[in-house]
Amino acid sequence: MTDLTDFSLEDQIEGLSSKKFSSVELTSSYLKKIEEQNKVLNCFISINENALDEAKKSDLKIAKNDNGIMEGIPVAHKDIFCIKDQVTTCGSKMLENFVSPYSSTVYEKLFNSGTVNLGKTNMDEFAMGSSNETSFFGNVLNPIDPERVPGGSSGGSASAVAAKLCSFATGTDTGGSIRQPAAFCGITGIKPTYGRVSRWGMIAFASSLDQGGIFARSALDASIALENISGFDEKDSTSINKKAPSFYNEAKEEDDNHVVGIPKNIIENIKDAKVKTNFYESVKILEKAGVSFKEIDLSNIEYSLPVYYVIAPAECSANLSRYDGVRFGHRCENPKDLEDLYERSRAEGFGDEVKKRILIGTYCLSAGYYDAYYIKAQKIRNLIKESFVNAFKEVTSIMMPTCANVSFKLNSIQNPVEMYEQDIYTIPANLAGLPAISIPSGKINNLPLGIQFIGNYLNEGNILNLSNKFQQNTNFHNE
Amino acid sequence: MKISEEILDNISSLSKIKIDEKIKPKLISDLESILKMVEEMNKIDTSNIEPMSHPLDEANNLRGDIATKEIERDDYQKSAPLIDDGFYLTPKVIE
Repeated sequence: MTDLTDFSLEDQIEGLSSKKFSSVELTSSYLKKIEEQNKVLNCFISINENALDEAKKSDLKIAKNDNGIMEGIPVAHKDIFCIKDQVTTCGSKMLENFVSPYSSTVYEKLFNSGTVNLGKTNMDEFAMGSSNETSFFGNVLNPIDPERVPGGSSGGSASAVAAKLCSFATGTDTGGSIRQPAAFCGITGIKPTYGRVSRWGMIAFASSLDQGGIFARSALDASIALENISGFDEKDSTSINKKAPSFYNEAKEEDDNHVVGIPKNIIENIKDAKVKTNFYESVKILEKAGVSFKEIDLSNIEYSLPVYYVIAPAECSANLSRYDGVRFGHRCENPKDLEDLYERSRAEGFGDEVKKRILIGTYCLSAGYYDAYYIKAQKIRNLIKESFVNAFKEVTSIMMPTCANVSFKLNSIQNPVEMYEQDIYTIPANLAGLPAISIPSGKINNLPLGIQFIGNYLNEGNILNLSNKFQQNTNFHNE
Repeated sequence: MKISEEILDNISSLSKIKIDEKIKPKLISDLESILKMVEEMNKIDTSNIEPMSHPLDEANNLRGDIATKEIERDDYQKSAPLIDDGFYLTPKVIE
């Protein structure tokens, strides 16, 4: 019997609208697989009890030819996106029982395009982590090898898409939280330009870096989903007031003008020989497909990690000050005074990694250290952005590995800095606000590896096109 | 940068997070290793560089300051740990 969950998003949309199968059938297939596999993978925090009802409604709309673009497509949402009247935990004890009074724009847009919500996916607490080991709701496992992590912070979404437990999934990326788990799980993950996707209702970690995006099984599938969450939103003051093009059309069109930059200083310093070999093999595949390459110099990019670990914690310490045990979220028992209420509610509600980042951020912003840390980091951030702006005068996109290595075993990294180094290749795009995508590029010891394309501002179509070109000439995304 | 227990107590007080005595030594060592990595920044001269607070030049698309009834107080307070007649309750602040 045909397994509907094997179909690509493209084929599912076609199958539903031409009534080859129904959304109830498709949604049931996913729910059945979730029931079987979630016990092991732990990629969902909650399952939407109304999923089948939503699917029935979609089928009625399809019958009346009143369907949205993605009518009846079952999707999973990272549990950082608020959905009205549903629990939104952000992977934290702090929000364990938080029922959102409103919905995020990303959810609303996908709902309006007809998707069926399967449930909310597990994640590192408040999106702080690179392995999904900081979630209050336990580890997520990598479906490729269940002894290993799926990456983070959007590990649940990545694991769910890789295990075919949803058609596609939403995620967020502050320093690599879409691209790194996509690489670890062997799927496609895109973080668009900062401001392309509204942050309304997306729980804040570091507001100048956070950006919503998509996990899917191919660049074409990702392009369809991405165009349906993009666009101006007056509720987000950092939303870009420009209409998003059809990324799907842009991904599919013939484009012979790709000039891909290879940042010499980064590629030469790749420590793992197999990762370096894979990178150059990927270059060869694209060269055969007619893509040109050019060596570029991205100066100061090596400072991205220190800069990020000042700016992200600083913004997080400010954003997470809202969790005070008064208006919503966890509240300690029997506080003796207001100070005690704040200090114990926050101590009990936040996990260790979140506390660490709030403390670092508070330190960097405190009197006497503000200039030495925060302003210094902002100045170098400017230099990093400038390096990219200069590079894009010569090239149409930039290619580098997504991660320094393949997925690692659970609990194998204990040193915080070693964990932070996971994001060494993904952080630069967040600092500059550029769109970036990770796609599967092969395997080392049966574990997937990803390559990353960084595009110029608002040029998601370009990197989706390049990714599609790669996927038309390879089969890594279907393995 | 050395993080003394005094500095840790100060930032814990500023961030309103009570720190368990037992985890202080490990926390101090973690914070020190993070700050050591961060201090790599000092290798670069940034004297004439403007700080960048935001990736986009055209940020701050502000909407009109118009009151809406999109979200009602009651909906918001459904998630509050302790309320009474529309008010959030806290321990007594003024004696």
